[in-house]
Amino acid sequence: MSLAVLDQVAREASGRIVAALAARFRDLDIAEDAFSDACVKALEAWPQHGVPFDPAGWLYRTAERKALDALRRRRTRERLAPDPQPTEATQEDAMLDDARIIPDERLRLIFVCCHPAVSPESRAALTLRLVCGLSVAEIAQAFLVPEPTLAQRLVRAKRKIADAGISFEVPRPEAWHERLEAVLATIEIAYSKSHEDAANAGNHAAYASEVLQLTRTLVEMIPHEPDPLALAALVRYTEARRPARLDPQGCMVPLSQQDPALWSRPLIQQADLYLKRAWTLGAQNPRTLQAAIHGTWCWRKNVSEPAPWPQILALYDALLACRDDVVVRLNRAVALAEVAGFQSAFDELASLPAQDLQNFLPYHALRADLLRQAGRFTEAQAAYDAALALSPALAERRWLENQKRTLPSLSPRSEPQQ
Amino acid sequence: MQYLLLIYEDERLYGPDKNGPAIQEIVAKHMAFNKELGSARIAGAGLKSTSAATTIRTSKGTKTVHDGPFAETKEQLGGYYLIDVPDLDAAIAIAKKLPVLQDGSVEIRPLLGGA
Repeated sequence: MSLAVLDQVAREASGRIVAALAARFRDLDIAEDAFSDACVKALEAWPQHGVPFDPAGWLYRTAERKALDALRRRRTRERLAPDPQPTEATQEDAMLDDARIIPDERLRLIFVCCHPAVSPESRAALTLRLVCGLSVAEIAQAFLVPEPTLAQRLVRAKRKIADAGISFEVPRPEAWHERLEAVLATIEIAYSKSHEDAANAGNHAAYASEVLQLTRTLVEMIPHEPDPLALAALVRYTEARRPARLDPQGCMVPLSQQDPALWSRPLIQQADLYLKRAWTLGAQNPRTLQAAIHGTWCWRKNVSEPAPWPQILALYDALLACRDDVVVRLNRAVALAEVAGFQSAFDELASLPAQDLQNFLPYHALRADLLRQAGRFTEAQAAYDAALALSPALAERRWLENQKRTLPSLSPRSEPQQ
Repeated sequence: MQYLLLIYEDERLYGPDKNGPAIQEIVAKHMAFNKELGSARIAGAGLKSTSAATTIRTSKGTKTVHDGPFAETKEQLGGYYLIDVPDLDAAIAIAKKLPVLQDGSVEIRPLLGGA
């Protein structure tokens, strides 16, 4: 019983605890080691004495003492003056809730992990490890790299932070613009990893809630920039739809076929507030437009209301005007097919560099769908196979297989099902 | 912390032996920059062209003297500053203000034991 509690608390509170320790001791290794020492201590103490009143606060205070011990040992080793003795937790401390005991230093830690002097491929991994408390194995799996490679990357990044003298201060507002971009990109990577798993069954789903938290903290700290607001809106719209993303058979449900009654209204309302503020600050901003696209979907009330394809297409047109890349064009083509018919979408697809898109699953999925609408079922089947060959997540695989199975094969010109 | 700022530029911009008109321009800028650095500056200097460089190479215990720089590169080490600032962000802010004529790079290296 106490082990289950420890497991849960360690996962939920590790980011806050490690961040608070890192901010206090200005040392990532000390913070990480002290937290795991505290967990080991809890493994001994909790089954014997019972779970403490405030498990997270207990872990923080224990880790704090472990960190002070480690620092003292280091100073003795280096023949420096010893640090003051750690203070024992008072009865009063024990009565405080952990929000007051553990200062929220996660934003500070995010800025450290996402410093531009840290290599881009390490930033997200380090943030997920330290701020979201994911294990090395989980992160390695998410980034599709071998575990030792990822562990090496983390070690190198932490050494760089210590050796190069990267500050543990949140940068001053004039430096935000540059630093913020790295932070937002990191959160986007983290979130897209959690979102890929539609089934909500893998480890990634566990940090979706962390991402909601992180974006809220970011918006509170930096309220006058459109990008953090837009990102906070986007992840909420996307999370709001999570309950509708799968049918009872575990098969992906495309956005236009999801039942809006299943979407989380409270999350959508939160997102709307963020989007409104982002829109006021910067409507012609790619992140704001992307959030608006997700918002437009979420404003659909029920399945009988027509899907908002014309508005979606208009937003993609605006997005294309400020960020022209193949992914935007591909997504726009999906809306174009709905508004102007499959032939227009085909023409658009034909203008894209096909060789760049061979390993991009949505390209094959869209092509398959358009070919199906055109009644070219044999080619559609080949396109579904191409999509399936790119190892989609389970729910998406089921959907693609389903689409392929329901292709009318006997009479090539018959009306496709569904 | 102490950081060494290593300035890399294409030395051909400054003419042979760094005596072209560009050198006047950059020296004036460095003078102004020095003033701005104030007490953060510990040391700093510009270097003569790599044509004046001599390299001592040690290989298997044998030391040999060579003409020229250690490696031929498109941009060469042309000067340095040694600064003492609180952290990397402060060093980056200074390195961004460091005058360079056209393209170039400034490498920021913390000193061993320079905390």
